[in-house]
Amino acid sequence: MEAVRNNSERDSPELLIRGLVRKLSHHALWDVVLVFLPPLAAIFYCLSYLFLKAWISPLVALVAGIAALVIGTLAIIIRYRPKIPSIRSAASLIDDRAGAKDRFLTLATLPSSKANSSMFSRLRVEAAGLQSRIAIRREFPYRINRHMYVSLVVSVAVALLFQILLPLAHSKLRPQPAHVRLRELAEQMAMRPRLHETGLSLQALAAKLEEPKLPRQEKQILAQEEHKKIAAQMKKDTQKQDRELLSQAAGTLQELEQQSGDGERKKDQDGGGGGIQSNLPQKGKQQGNEGGGGGGESKGELNAQLNDDMQQGKLAQGNTKEQDRENNAGGKNSSQENQREPSKPGKDKNQERTGRSEGGKDEGVGRSKASDEIPEGSPPVERFYKPGEGESQGIKGAGYVTVQLPEELAPEGKGGGNKRDSKGRKAPSSQVSVSNVPLPKHLPDAPSEKQQMPLEYRGIIR
Amino acid sequence: MAMDSEKFLETFKRIEAQISRVIVGHDDAIRKVLIAFFAGGHVLLEGVPGLGKTLLVKAFSTTIGMSFKRIQFTPDLMPSDIVGTEVLTEESGQREFRFKKGPIFAHVVLADEINRATPKTQSAVLEAMEEKQVTVFGESHSLESPFMVMATQNPIELEGTYPLPEAQLDRFFFKLLITPPTPVELREILKRTTGAESSEATPVLRENGAAEINEMNTLLRQVLIAPPIEDYVVRLVYATQPSAHNGAAAPASVKNYLRFGSSPRGAQSVILGAKGNALADGRVHVSYEDVENVIYPSLRHRIILNFQAEAENVTADQIIAEVIRQVPRS
Repeated sequence: MEAVRNNSERDSPELLIRGLVRKLSHHALWDVVLVFLPPLAAIFYCLSYLFLKAWISPLVALVAGIAALVIGTLAIIIRYRPKIPSIRSAASLIDDRAGAKDRFLTLATLPSSKANSSMFSRLRVEAAGLQSRIAIRREFPYRINRHMYVSLVVSVAVALLFQILLPLAHSKLRPQPAHVRLRELAEQMAMRPRLHETGLSLQALAAKLEEPKLPRQEKQILAQEEHKKIAAQMKKDTQKQDRELLSQAAGTLQELEQQSGDGERKKDQDGGGGGIQSNLPQKGKQQGNEGGGGGGESKGELNAQLNDDMQQGKLAQGNTKEQDRENNAGGKNSSQENQREPSKPGKDKNQERTGRSEGGKDEGVGRSKASDEIPEGSPPVERFYKPGEGESQGIKGAGYVTVQLPEELAPEGKGGGNKRDSKGRKAPSSQVSVSNVPLPKHLPDAPSEKQQMPLEYRGIIR
Repeated sequence: MAMDSEKFLETFKRIEAQISRVIVGHDDAIRKVLIAFFAGGHVLLEGVPGLGKTLLVKAFSTTIGMSFKRIQFTPDLMPSDIVGTEVLTEESGQREFRFKKGPIFAHVVLADEINRATPKTQSAVLEAMEEKQVTVFGESHSLESPFMVMATQNPIELEGTYPLPEAQLDRFFFKLLITPPTPVELREILKRTTGAESSEATPVLRENGAAEINEMNTLLRQVLIAPPIEDYVVRLVYATQPSAHNGAAAPASVKNYLRFGSSPRGAQSVILGAKGNALADGRVHVSYEDVENVIYPSLRHRIILNFQAEAENVTADQIIAEVIRQVPRS
């Protein structure tokens, strides 16, 4: 009897409905879990990635992981609760599948106490008869919700983007030092047969640049030299990849040069900037200061020295001391000849220079005098220091002028100096000695100087 | 022997079969007439002349074996012609007023062409239909039970007709539309009516049929209906209200074409009709299908169309269909 009752209870439509509710609840839970699982996994992946890259500390990773887990769990609970199927909806589902015409719905929702007992019994019997049409496992299998696929795809995409974009963003936000990049480039170049030597050279340079004791000026010079080499090789090399590597190396070297230059400029700014320094007494120094305005002009002319055209076809106004001496000694230079106008055949070169200097005093008196005037007085031998006497070299009792370039034109001035050097080297200083002769006396009432006509226009404008 | 659903179904099927012997086609109308009868309601039959409305009522009354009266409504019909009046009678030398019952005093009353009578006369049946009693000269007279008014009306005769007021329309349980027969049905009609043999309906119920019908009425009310289905009926009826407070729930067609929605009697009619339909289907519980089956005859005369609907030839059935579409089952 008991067994029969148990059997009837087991087969009762109410149990079938409750069983379906349980199964659908599990389905709903799986649906929600599967939707939230991929994002959680993606978050954990990103956190572990950040942690492995040492971009976040273990504590931050742990806290973020726990927070993600808690938020995910809450989201699952919040999403799951409304998805729990009601008895009513489960009964309706059974009715639909079994074609029961709302028998299960009525049984599940109608209180038996309020119903006609005979009718209710009959309804239960009818529903139990229809129960055989329903096999919950067969009729209600679990199917993965399409939202899960969307969630999975989006999560994977986000994780991939994270992995791809984060290092890029990191390198943008925190760029590697130039010497590190140079080292990497050098390694890459060393692996290429055509660039092997250049790569080794760059590696050596990078090693030198990393030495903290090496002065900035030296670093700059080294970078410049290497830059030149690479520029020359770029012209030769035709392979695209090699050229790319070379251009990257050139860019990095340029950056290094700029960095060294910046450091030097900073130093200069700290020291007071450009101007003319002199060892003359206060009076002479005053003259030197007056010529300070011409310091820029001097620089410009120094730049002009670097111009091949100027060197070849035009007057090398700011030529080296040796060249000046050579010119003063009477050696006629072809370029000077070219500059000499045919209408003034008898005009002396020195005279011409003197006249020009007089007309253009604002360009820098000291420089003009140094290049044009021959010191008078004692013979040259006596005018120079002898070995072991006082200064190691130079003119006895002579003042000198040191032009300190303003910081903005310093690199150009230095660049110009390279061309002047026969060995391809240049003193790493922004102080370019222009003259070692005394500055002319300052005449407060001297007539104002006229602007000298540019050499380029002399033949055109009269 | 107590009435049960099987016996109900058997009786129902027998009556249905007997009526079908006389009436060709109109199976749904016959079924709905029986449902309304066992639910204790009244039926308004609407159709063009000659479709068998009156014949249907006669066959029905014959089948159930109850008293039957027919009232032909005309413009000069007086209320007293329906409910009856006090007449002076002389009996054994004594004169006294006695109430002479009108034709309303019957189990089944056929109010033929009810819309041809004046509103005053039409209203004479209001009390009878709702309270199953009539009051004459301050004295109330109960009507026999079961009591059912089956009215017919012609939709195309506008001349000399008085449309039924909404209050009276609301008292009809169902409004059934009698449609023209199909060719097959027409052939069958011709065979039955033009041949030598004529088929007549025979009474199904016994002499104490009134008691049996009352039992059937009681049983019908006990049919099980699930609360979600009751909610569905409520939502359906509520969705026919175009009033502002219900604007959000009402479909657009309700807002555009209805002046008034269904009264609570409409919901009662739907539930009882659904229960009768379930029993007639051999079930003891109401399904959603039952509700949707009876909602048209239950509500079509209870929702009042506005001028725009009439101008655009929008029918009540179209609006009900829209309501069913718009209101979800759960």
